[in-house]
Amino acid sequence: MAYSDKVIDHYNNPRNVGSLDKKDKNVGTGLVGAPECGDVMKLQMKINPETRVIEEAKFKTFGCGSAIASSSLATEWVRGKTVEEALAIKNTDIVRELSLPPVKIHCSVLAEDAIKAAISDWKQKAGESKPAAVEAATPAHS
Amino acid sequence: MSVTKTQTGITPAGTQQEAVCWSCKAPSGGGHFCAACGKIQPLSREADYFAFFALPQKLQIDESSLEQRFHQLSWKLHPDNFVRASEYERNLALERSSELNDAYRTLRDPISRVEYLLLRAGVRKEGTTKQQAPPELLEEVFELNESLDELREAKSEGLPAGAGGDLTELRAKLTEAQANFQEKLAEVDAELKAVFAEWDDVPVGIEGDAARKSVMAKLNELLNRRSYIRNLVRNVGIELEQG
Repeated sequence: MAYSDKVIDHYNNPRNVGSLDKKDKNVGTGLVGAPECGDVMKLQMKINPETRVIEEAKFKTFGCGSAIASSSLATEWVRGKTVEEALAIKNTDIVRELSLPPVKIHCSVLAEDAIKAAISDWKQKAGESKPAAVEAATPAHS
Repeated sequence: MSVTKTQTGITPAGTQQEAVCWSCKAPSGGGHFCAACGKIQPLSREADYFAFFALPQKLQIDESSLEQRFHQLSWKLHPDNFVRASEYERNLALERSSELNDAYRTLRDPISRVEYLLLRAGVRKEGTTKQQAPPELLEEVFELNESLDELREAKSEGLPAGAGGDLTELRAKLTEAQANFQEKLAEVDAELKAVFAEWDDVPVGIEGDAARKSVMAKLNELLNRRSYIRNLVRNVGIELEQG
């Protein structure tokens, strides 16, 4: 199947690959995966607690070209946005931008899930949601 | 050769209208051969692989008796038995024989058996359905992928095997991870087996509908998890094998 030019561009020159310090309380980490294809996606963002603006976003994805392009695009899009604006990003926006074929739609879903997961992780750390879980929020790492 | 009359297939009441023999026009009984005249019958469109073996849609199947049935049927349906029959019957024999092989291959293996069941029920589809990886494994999966990446990189830098301590270390780490995930695969298989029994206990008919749905969802989730882990184990295996 042929990838669109935009997918190929993101695949060959992925933006914002890397990681942020996940212990930093201003950093939200979203780790999501799709069992069928085995894709795993980690998206991290550094959020200014005052302005709620996403100042930095990094990703690392193990998966196909579309999954890499979707997460690369997601980091580009969330940068400079507020948390609320970022939450409004829909997977269909990603599908449209990258011209993903139907069989690759799950890659865009994964990217949307990753954004949401990263933000909810940040909110937890910031005590905005599930305050009881803050102490226990460190993912099991045994 | 005389054809023994097949017993009427165990079909759920009311799901199938009375099949009529194409040759003698009597009710055929829905089996491979007409219950009245013994002629081979065309496959019915709604027949599934379980019905093909006159089995109820249960997941725990005695594999040796399935094999026995397979041998009996291959013998009965073998196209060689129909060399002197009409072209129509020869085609039916061919069709049923190839269906028999597909059915046997699918039902023999517990995983493809349950996948087939869920596919037929429309619970499982390829592609667009949203599927979440087991969250408690994600962290490990991610780390494993990172080590895999490192190993590939180390290899592509042309380090001769065994030269770099790094490579040996990575290999050891991956081998350990592989064993770890293999264990998880066995756990999933054990869980699946337990849910197989649960499925088989669901009452037939409408009163089992709710339970059937929830058990199917459980099976589907376990299958997703299984294929996820299996892919991982396979990828690690490939990487470790290649020099």
